[in-house]
Amino acid sequence: MSIKAFELVPAIERLKLMSDKARTQIECIDVCGKNLYIGTNDCFVVHYILEGRPTQAGRLAFHSEKQGHKYLALKKPIDQLKAASALNRILVLCDHTLTLLNMMDLEPVMSGAKVKGVTYFCLNDNPVRGNPFSVEVCVALKKKQIQVYTITEDRIIHVKDVSIPEQANQIGIDGHFICAALASQYCMVNFETGQIQDLFPYDSESTKPVVKRISKEEFLLSGPNALGMFVTSEGISQRPPMQWSDNLLGVSYVHPYIVSLNDEFITVHSILDQQQKQAIPFQGGSTIGDFDGRVFISSAKEIYALVPVAWEKQVQALLADKRVQEALDLAKNANHAGLSKDKFLKIYRRFQQQAAFIEFSQQNFDEAKELFKEGKVDVRELISLYPGLMPSSSNFTRSIPVLHEIADINNLSKDNDEMKKDYKRFLRNYLEEIKGTTDGHGFKQVIDTALLKLYAEINWPELIPLIAVDTGCDLKDSVEWLEKYERYHALGLLFKYHGENDKAMQIWARLVNGEIKDELFPGLQFVVEFLSNINDPELVWKYIDWALEKDQELSVKIFTERPSNEPPTERFRPETVIDYLHRFPKAVIAYLEYLIFQKKLEKEKYHTHLAVLYLDSVLQLMKNNNVKKEHLDNARSKLRHMLQLSNMYRVQLILGKVKEQDMHAECAILYGKLEEHDKAMRILVHKLKDYVAAENYCFVNSQGKDPTYRKRLFHILLGVYLDPNNERKDLLVTPAVELLNRNVTEFDTAKVLQLLPENWSVQLVKQFLSQTVRKSMNFQRTVRIERMIARGENLWVKEACIAMQKSPVQMNDDKMCAVCNRAFSDPTFVRYPNGVITHVHCAKNKHVCPVTGKLFSICSKNS
Amino acid sequence: MTASSADKRKADLKVIILGDFAVGKTSLICRYIEGKFRAHETTIGAAFFLKQWGSYNVAVWDTAGDEKYTGLQSFYCRNAGAAILAFDLNHESSFESLWARFLPLLDNANEDCLKVVVGTKLDMLQPGSREVTQEEARRFAREINSNLDQKKLDRDPYFETSSKTGMNVTEMFEFIYQYCLPLSEDKKISSLATKRTSASTSTVDLNKPAVSAPQRTKCCFR
Repeated sequence: MSIKAFELVPAIERLKLMSDKARTQIECIDVCGKNLYIGTNDCFVVHYILEGRPTQAGRLAFHSEKQGHKYLALKKPIDQLKAASALNRILVLCDHTLTLLNMMDLEPVMSGAKVKGVTYFCLNDNPVRGNPFSVEVCVALKKKQIQVYTITEDRIIHVKDVSIPEQANQIGIDGHFICAALASQYCMVNFETGQIQDLFPYDSESTKPVVKRISKEEFLLSGPNALGMFVTSEGISQRPPMQWSDNLLGVSYVHPYIVSLNDEFITVHSILDQQQKQAIPFQGGSTIGDFDGRVFISSAKEIYALVPVAWEKQVQALLADKRVQEALDLAKNANHAGLSKDKFLKIYRRFQQQAAFIEFSQQNFDEAKELFKEGKVDVRELISLYPGLMPSSSNFTRSIPVLHEIADINNLSKDNDEMKKDYKRFLRNYLEEIKGTTDGHGFKQVIDTALLKLYAEINWPELIPLIAVDTGCDLKDSVEWLEKYERYHALGLLFKYHGENDKAMQIWARLVNGEIKDELFPGLQFVVEFLSNINDPELVWKYIDWALEKDQELSVKIFTERPSNEPPTERFRPETVIDYLHRFPKAVIAYLEYLIFQKKLEKEKYHTHLAVLYLDSVLQLMKNNNVKKEHLDNARSKLRHMLQLSNMYRVQLILGKVKEQDMHAECAILYGKLEEHDKAMRILVHKLKDYVAAENYCFVNSQGKDPTYRKRLFHILLGVYLDPNNERKDLLVTPAVELLNRNVTEFDTAKVLQLLPENWSVQLVKQFLSQTVRKSMNFQRTVRIERMIARGENLWVKEACIAMQKSPVQMNDDKMCAVCNRAFSDPTFVRYPNGVITHVHCAKNKHVCPVTGKLFSICSKNS
Repeated sequence: MTASSADKRKADLKVIILGDFAVGKTSLICRYIEGKFRAHETTIGAAFFLKQWGSYNVAVWDTAGDEKYTGLQSFYCRNAGAAILAFDLNHESSFESLWARFLPLLDNANEDCLKVVVGTKLDMLQPGSREVTQEEARRFAREINSNLDQKKLDRDPYFETSSKTGMNVTEMFEFIYQYCLPLSEDKKISSLATKRTSASTSTVDLNKPAVSAPQRTKCCFR
């Protein structure tokens, strides 16, 4: 857990002043800007100017020059020194007396202001009163009291006394709050209210009390068992304690580090995680202090500066130790003074990138992924770690200075295949995630190519969508790779995407032929779809033979499922195609079906052709005896459907063939087409005995024609049923009666009655008769109502007309046409219902008033 | 400086765990925060965890059971809204020191501090190894909380837990939050309550007889 946060640099070696007096020792120091003050054990205050200069090696070296010294003539050690630059004074505590010296010539102030009986004092860095030319000082007295003073250039003004239960050894002040180490415990004193809050006890035998203000309203105290305790002015702790070592002498704070001094070591803890970060062996240290963010340490004779190592260097060192989280925490929390936000972000991002590769090299993939994203790592840096994954055309070189020292993943995984797979899986996930996002912006080709290669290697199903949809893959490179891993279907798709359809087809043809294999290949279906959608007649004709030989019915889709927006071309003219398809009977049928039923082409030739082909296939099946009945029925129903639906074929031609084979149902349809309904129905009734079909026939053949035509057909049917010349007419009584009674259509009752045989009882046709009577009654009544309504309306209109015409219109010379404003010369004129009078030729529209634009509707009551 | 201020996010509730050395205080908290059980070094002084519970920040303070830190513990108890008094179910002495050593420390905590008594190492309980009966622990838990509003305690603040299996650990913390958090922000409750009532009036309940209906009929009759 070590880190080099500070370097110990000598500031003043071997105090020159005391060369003659060997016993002289440093008691206390203070640094204010370039001024360094030393208080000695033999009552001297010494003033140095100290300047830090960077050496050639990039380190800091100190140069010091003595300015002067002052002997206070008390023969007592100087206990405390504190420069107050705002007042140009030094506060000196010697022999329990607090006095003021001039900062430059070290002379006592003229007024001689002093406070006596002081054991310890401290300045308030967060003063309550805002006068910039005064400082607030808190002093602990020998008696059980704490006092607060305001000090100006030459005066010490008493502000407040607070009595405390014991004498205070050490105090710290922030705002109203004084944290004091009493003889046996710490307490928090509010000097405004005088309230005292006990914190915790300590053993003064084993623990030197330390009170260090570290930030607003927070103090750091040395607790029992060498614990560093954080306490807020509310008397509670908001950070866990720190473990220090024994014999603590003093503490300093430079964010984010707490530096503590004991007799053997300088120890550095982080305030972020309270852990020890660095220990520097240092014997004989006596005081430690931080002055405006600079830490100085003194031994008896020497003064050292603790120079912080630049945080960038610290982070770099942590990264070198692969302590990623610590490094990033430090980078985030370090003092970014002198860096603009952008600049810091840039530096921080670079650390993140380095961290990402460290996590990556340790297979902490989740962390790595986050860092790669946050650090906005150039994705090529990552891909280039995988041998062969970069497009060969890429001339990418890794960034300099290097982000990592990884040669490639083979090196990382040390030929451990599992690990290599993990690395590849990681890259795949990562690329999938950044693909299409801003992170992947500008690297589409690199990312897609890498993904393609990864997919190809493990035969991942995502390969196909990757290639099919807007791929940025490098063609040459990918082809090689896909061939290497035998991903032929993907290869075909890639060719297709790059417009090399011929090459694509070559591959797919080989796949269909089984010369090469790829389990992702969907089969001939796919090729057919491809060919049917491609706007390249050459290619289609090149492969059509091959496709049709593979599967006629499927391949004919190449012709039938052309894209709807394809312009008609000479190469795909129906005649050409049909001529070509001659060899493939199934394909021809499918193609003709397409032309007729889908394209609705009304060409006699196609219709007849298809009908003949259907018929042929039926005949073929009929010849073959052991054909299943369903097959035959299916073929025949197809034929019938076609015959019924189409009106374009040559009926006579088909009829001739059909008659030969006794295909009655077909005959009936054909007769129907020829309007020889009597014949057709006789076949249906006598030969097929299918009465439902006969009725159906009437409906089907009268479709789209006027109702009387249907009526006529039903009469013919009834005639067929009741034909007196038929020997078996008794058999047909039932369907005839049913036909009548079911009231499927209107019959001409008079004609029906004539047709009915004499011997039928009324009971038999009762239903029919009653319905007929009812119907005619209804008809009569309806007509009557209609007539009456019409008459009423007529009267109404007449009335309105009269009402409109009854007022006379007087015409004289003064009357002008409302439209052209000229006089009337003819005896004729037009008057609108609203009284506007115009010439006849000026009245353009009799329903619209030419002046007001009012619309006169014909049946409106108002007009 | 940003980090230190972030660390000082004001916690809405401070929970402190007290108890004898090696009764499993740190394990209990780690089980709750990290969701797993692992061995722990002796806690030095104290440790601190921040937990988000809904919109609340909960600071959980883990203290050292070692007697040499007793002086610090009362300091860490300051402002605690809830205290977990942990003892080992297998050691009666750890139960006794709750009363003798740790209860007085809580004088520093809030006056209405909820004191939850928790028996640990339930999984280590063998037949006959139990040294503290449920009844006496329960009674103790009731007694030390007698200053609190009993109506708000829907059960005795006593739990028997196992950090190894996770048994009752989350339940115990949830119990604390249920008791402490909604209370400390009365406003929140009242605002929630008003929201609820306004919502209920704005929805039309078809099955509920309309209140205004009888008035209207009256008016019509008039």
